[in-house]
Amino acid sequence: MAVASTLTPEQAKARRSRREGRRRILRHVALLAWTGFIVFPIYWMVMTSFKDSGEWVTWPPNWLPREPTLLNYSQIFAFSQLDASQARQATEQSFTIWKGLGDSVLVCTTASLVSLLLGTFLAYSISRFNVGGKYFRHTILTIRMIPPIVIAISILMYYAIIIPYVTSALIGIRISLFDTYIGLILIYTVTTLPFVIWMMLTFIDEVPYTLEHAARMMGASRMTVIWKIVLPLVASGMVVTFLFVFILNWAEFLLALTLTHPDVTTLTVLLNKFQSASEGRLYGPQAAIGTMITIPVVILGMLIQGHLVKGFSFGTIRK
Amino acid sequence: MARIQIKDLVKTFGAYKAVSGINMEIRDGEFMIMVGPSGCGKTTTLNMISGLETPTSGQIVIGDTVVNDLEPGERGLGMVFQDLALFPHMTVYENIAFGLRVKKVPPAEIDRRVTAAAEAVHIGSLLPKLPRQCSGGESQRVALARTIVTNPSVFLMDEPLSSLDAKLRVDMRTELKRLHERLKATFVYVTHDQAEAMTMADSIVVMSKGRIEQLGSPLAIYNTPATQFVAGFFGTPTMNFLEGTIEANGSGRRFRAPGIDQPLPDALPAGIAGRKVTLGVRSEHVLVDANGPHAGTVLITEPLGDATLVHFDYGQGKTLVAKVPPTTTLGPGGQLRFDFAPQACHLFDAAGGERLN
Repeated sequence: MAVASTLTPEQAKARRSRREGRRRILRHVALLAWTGFIVFPIYWMVMTSFKDSGEWVTWPPNWLPREPTLLNYSQIFAFSQLDASQARQATEQSFTIWKGLGDSVLVCTTASLVSLLLGTFLAYSISRFNVGGKYFRHTILTIRMIPPIVIAISILMYYAIIIPYVTSALIGIRISLFDTYIGLILIYTVTTLPFVIWMMLTFIDEVPYTLEHAARMMGASRMTVIWKIVLPLVASGMVVTFLFVFILNWAEFLLALTLTHPDVTTLTVLLNKFQSASEGRLYGPQAAIGTMITIPVVILGMLIQGHLVKGFSFGTIRK
Repeated sequence: MARIQIKDLVKTFGAYKAVSGINMEIRDGEFMIMVGPSGCGKTTTLNMISGLETPTSGQIVIGDTVVNDLEPGERGLGMVFQDLALFPHMTVYENIAFGLRVKKVPPAEIDRRVTAAAEAVHIGSLLPKLPRQCSGGESQRVALARTIVTNPSVFLMDEPLSSLDAKLRVDMRTELKRLHERLKATFVYVTHDQAEAMTMADSIVVMSKGRIEQLGSPLAIYNTPATQFVAGFFGTPTMNFLEGTIEANGSGRRFRAPGIDQPLPDALPAGIAGRKVTLGVRSEHVLVDANGPHAGTVLITEPLGDATLVHFDYGQGKTLVAKVPPTTTLGPGGQLRFDFAPQACHLFDAAGGERLN
């Protein structure tokens, strides 16, 4: 106390700014360490994607490729049967990314759109009509707390055994959802729906009731109100939600692995299947595909950032 | 015809009774103001007229039609909301045109009517702007234009001026009154501001706890409040209330409270003597007079410009307020004598609050 009371305001200020400075340095050291921890695997993946097979696993490690090569990329982007210069010995599977990319884009886009559409309307009814009661919105989120592995096996039972058996018994046609686009799209829609509802609820709750009341007083039907008033006001929220859910689906592995093969192959599943008898795990093409998968996620992430600002500053509606 | 009749209207939210069985009639072309403190049921009543709330029981008749089961948009009403509810993603033009577009009015006519409505409230230059680019007063006018443009026979207004600053609010009062004169439509207006109600209304409904306390013209409500609640709600400063008893004194009767002995006018109902009552006197009827029968000590004075309010203690630690001419020389600590104007004394039952004289 005595020391503090003898300080002039300038000294106190200087001491405060020194303390601030030390804190800032500490903060940056911690953040840099964390960034290194996160970025290192990505760095390693990108480097490996430019390395030839001899350099994939070496000790001491090669931090940069000694002889950078595009062989891994030319393999994954090849359109036709690999020629002698590209083929690896005793390889059983195709390396190309095209099928996996197509499947991933198709499944993720469709599932995300369906989920967005359903979830937005569900969120509207929960927000406006209290559907499901007071705690329904929290109940919905708890569905997401179930680990995917818990549902994966039971869904597999339904997709591969129960539904085919029941349909063939009832209508004489065996319908299986296993290893189909519809099957995967359905399960992706269901698993992401809680997120969509939860996110869209925050946006729809922000739209003042009175806007809808005003429109209804002027003779607008409920659908007109949703279409002309509510949806335009939550549009940026819908974009954010779509991108978020798309990234979730894009990176999903366990359900795709369990519920498909060999007709439908998403990129994450493809990534897991690089083996060769002579060379073991094919880290090079795997890293190349990993890098290619990451790029859209990074781009979407940046897009989301921009929209997040717009989306969450939504409360600036004049009330 | 846009006469509105409300019959035994009840609205409950769970166990809470927001409106408990009210009856009233709003005449065609009348400027009716519902006034009361927060939670008195006035907005709920308005929302039931508009159709945004469904009555628990009772009937609402507009013209000759029972509208209980009609959608809000089918009742031929226009409404201005407390938060104005302008659509933030549409321009002023689109906001005003919205109702006409919903009704599929031809574009040329929409254009003509939107322009006319905008001119009527002097916002012609704002049409291409977005609501967030408009000031508070301008937004207010946009909300009015959006309501006018559909030619409703009834205008419902839910505290439309509450978001404006004091000066603008007073200006808009005059403007609303003029608009009512010009449109000759029925206005139903909800406010908690007694000054708004006094200045604009043809008739006032005072509500409290879901019930109608009094229905009448502004002056009738001011001069002969039906209950102590109404008396306290109207007028600034609040009416002075003194608790005491009525004593018979020969042929006349007197109000007696500690430090006060006030003769009362003769025209009082029989059997009133001996009752516990509350005497209500407005500050302008507390007469500061050197020959007055009662004495007091000035606490503070509040100059208003055209008058000065004198808060004084008449003994017993109780305070009264008197409105005196601005030329007064009274100051804190000074002594005064005062009297009550006997014809302006209001007597209310001490328990129930209903008027006795």
